[in-house]
Amino acid sequence: MGASILILDKVAKRFGDFTAVDSLSFAVPEGGVFGFLGGNGAGKTTSLRMMLDIIRPSSGRIEILGGAPARENAAEIGFLPEERGLYRLMTVLDTIVYFARLKRMGAAAARKAASGLIERLGLGDKANAPVGKLSKGLAQKVQLATAMVNSPRLLLLDEPFSGLDPVNQGVLEDVIREMAQGGSTVVFSTHVMQHAERLCDRLLLLARGRKVFEGTQDEARASLPARLTLISRTDPSGLPGVISAASLGPEQDGWTRFEVALQPAADPGAVLEACTAQGFALRGFDIHRPALHEVFIHLVGADQEIVR
Amino acid sequence: MRAVLLVAAREFRQIVSTRGFWVMLLVVPAAFAVSIFASTFFAPQTTVAFTLVDASGRYGPIIERRLELDYQREVLRSLSTYVDRWKLASADPGAVWAQRDAWPGDAKVARFISGGGGTAALRRLQPRLPEGAPAFKPPPRPYVEVAPPAGIPTSQGPDAFGRALAVAMQGDVGTTAGKRPFALAVYVPKDFGAPGAVVRIWTNGRPNGPLIDTIREQLTAALRHEALQSAGLSTDAAGRIETLSAPILVTEPPPGAGRGVIVTRSIVPLALVYLLLIAAITTGQMLLQGVIEERSNKLLESVLACIRPADLMYGKLLGLGGVGLTVVAAWAACAVAAAFSASGMVSDLLRPSLVALDQPWMVAAMIFYFLSGYVVISMLFLAIGSLSDSMQDAQAYLMPVLLTFMIPVMLMLQAGLRSSDTLFIRVMSWIPLYTPFAMLARLGTGVSLQEMLGSGWLLIAFVTLELVLLGRVFRASLLTTGQSAKPGVFLKLMFQPAE
Repeated sequence: MGASILILDKVAKRFGDFTAVDSLSFAVPEGGVFGFLGGNGAGKTTSLRMMLDIIRPSSGRIEILGGAPARENAAEIGFLPEERGLYRLMTVLDTIVYFARLKRMGAAAARKAASGLIERLGLGDKANAPVGKLSKGLAQKVQLATAMVNSPRLLLLDEPFSGLDPVNQGVLEDVIREMAQGGSTVVFSTHVMQHAERLCDRLLLLARGRKVFEGTQDEARASLPARLTLISRTDPSGLPGVISAASLGPEQDGWTRFEVALQPAADPGAVLEACTAQGFALRGFDIHRPALHEVFIHLVGADQEIVR
Repeated sequence: MRAVLLVAAREFRQIVSTRGFWVMLLVVPAAFAVSIFASTFFAPQTTVAFTLVDASGRYGPIIERRLELDYQREVLRSLSTYVDRWKLASADPGAVWAQRDAWPGDAKVARFISGGGGTAALRRLQPRLPEGAPAFKPPPRPYVEVAPPAGIPTSQGPDAFGRALAVAMQGDVGTTAGKRPFALAVYVPKDFGAPGAVVRIWTNGRPNGPLIDTIREQLTAALRHEALQSAGLSTDAAGRIETLSAPILVTEPPPGAGRGVIVTRSIVPLALVYLLLIAAITTGQMLLQGVIEERSNKLLESVLACIRPADLMYGKLLGLGGVGLTVVAAWAACAVAAAFSASGMVSDLLRPSLVALDQPWMVAAMIFYFLSGYVVISMLFLAIGSLSDSMQDAQAYLMPVLLTFMIPVMLMLQAGLRSSDTLFIRVMSWIPLYTPFAMLARLGTGVSLQEMLGSGWLLIAFVTLELVLLGRVFRASLLTTGQSAKPGVFLKLMFQPAE
């Protein structure tokens, strides 16, 4: 991981009496995929708009690509907004070229990059079709192309999977991985935890404008007590790191299945090692890693609107 | 600036690729051409028919001679103008038609008639006609005399004559110029001149004042002539007295001078007022639709991630300004082409108007007022668009804005056509919202330098302030949807400092 490509330091944004983002601090290292997770109204879109200088923070400092947010950064940034739309009368090619030109690309380079992306995203036969005549899925691909056309160092995607069918969600996941492998830093916001689990190296959890977690997926899961399912002849409550053990019912030949709750940060491997050392007979040992959804519910509460 | 130009180019391309743009571009020249064609080929006939029964046998020829003299005077005036327009006087410098006279007297007209009238003159002119000059068309006769319709009794007195005519006068009657309305019938009684003898006139219900006046004047003159003779004067002396008329020589400025040139110089600036109003409102509505489309399409965020809102605003103004200027340039090109390639009344009016724009300051002033007027109106449309989620929302503002411009501008145009130096139009020159229109309307008559500079600076200050205040509305509203487009919101955003 390299230096931070994006830093927010105690950033707040207030609209009248309403605080959309409250003292938010985090850093995104260069390279990899960074997930910006939170329910609806958590402050994700407002934060992204501040990073792009579309709106200004009420207080705090933002550093992006080594400087303050400014349109001059547009050449190195790709942005896919949550609310999407394109000029209906423009052709697919002209649309992508137009956004490339707005990002300070030369005319010839813009056309070349746009043509390459059109082929890569399977839009070759629609290059000269007006955007208004495309299906929603194809139009979203065009919009993605407008964000990627300048091969950005930093790609900001606001709820990129919303409105996509499962096939196109898979295509987009592949694109995000390719961009990250190609050296870009991808920051995407979502309230769908599955995408974050599959893609993110690091995560930021937001709730009501405040940060509730920042770190890797493992670190996020470690914030919840791990759970084990053991099949043993004796109650495992006395093992080191175990908080409680509940019987799930008898098995054959005097064996019993137990649901075991470990202390937060307790290592299931250490429990297994202790069993071996103490001669604690085991017939089954299953580790249940908590899903991000569970972590999210644990950290921010069940009232936040998220999708598993 | 690069971003502004990119946005402007996109806006321009998008508009000119629509069918509506081409309809707008073509509709004005087409309407102009159709109206010229219609006025040429479908102009209402003005000639009417009349019949004259002179039971006395003495007065008919007098009336007929006067009507012929009056008509030939119009032919002579029209021919003189034609000769002057095509510089043909050298064909016969001594001829009556070679001298432009605003009101040729009877003697001159009589010389014209005795010299063969228009037919003889055209024979002289024909070899000298330049290429492209249209053939001379004499004005139509206003009155054509016809014989009483068959079956109408002319010898049973005026009452019988009038009764029999009633039905015939409801329709048209055949004349040497085709079927024409049977407008008037005159019956001069046998004893006209005796006390109680009355000339009877019947009309078809449409007044023909000039013809009745002519008849009355000629009959009155004849009665005076007879009265003078009865008083003992000789026929010659009575004739001389009766035909006495004050010698009048009407002198008018030569072509290209006098009040006429003011009118001539005013035609192009006044036309620009119309064009400015039409072009600014039409393209302003396109601007409005474009902003509403961007807001409803949710694509502004993508654009604003790349460029500043101010770049977007100026780009739109520039792009739509380009559309407006293209439209006006195309219309102007059509007008110039029509003026210099076609012939006829309209081109005769346009050509000197264009030639009169011989002073660079006048052209520069016209461009300045046109562009500033364009910005004043366009910014209003842009701000309204940024506050509206749909065209329906925008209507709440559109109607008052359109009326605010159209009513005073129409009044100014009417005032400008009559006299552009009225108090109303001078006051409007100092209200920046109307300065471009008022000053354009006044340009042809000449405006003092102080007034032009003063109102010009005021206009520049207003446009700057408008760009700042309405620019704030535009920026603050771009990403906000669902806000109420009320005047209060408008004012709040206008005076809310930028973030």
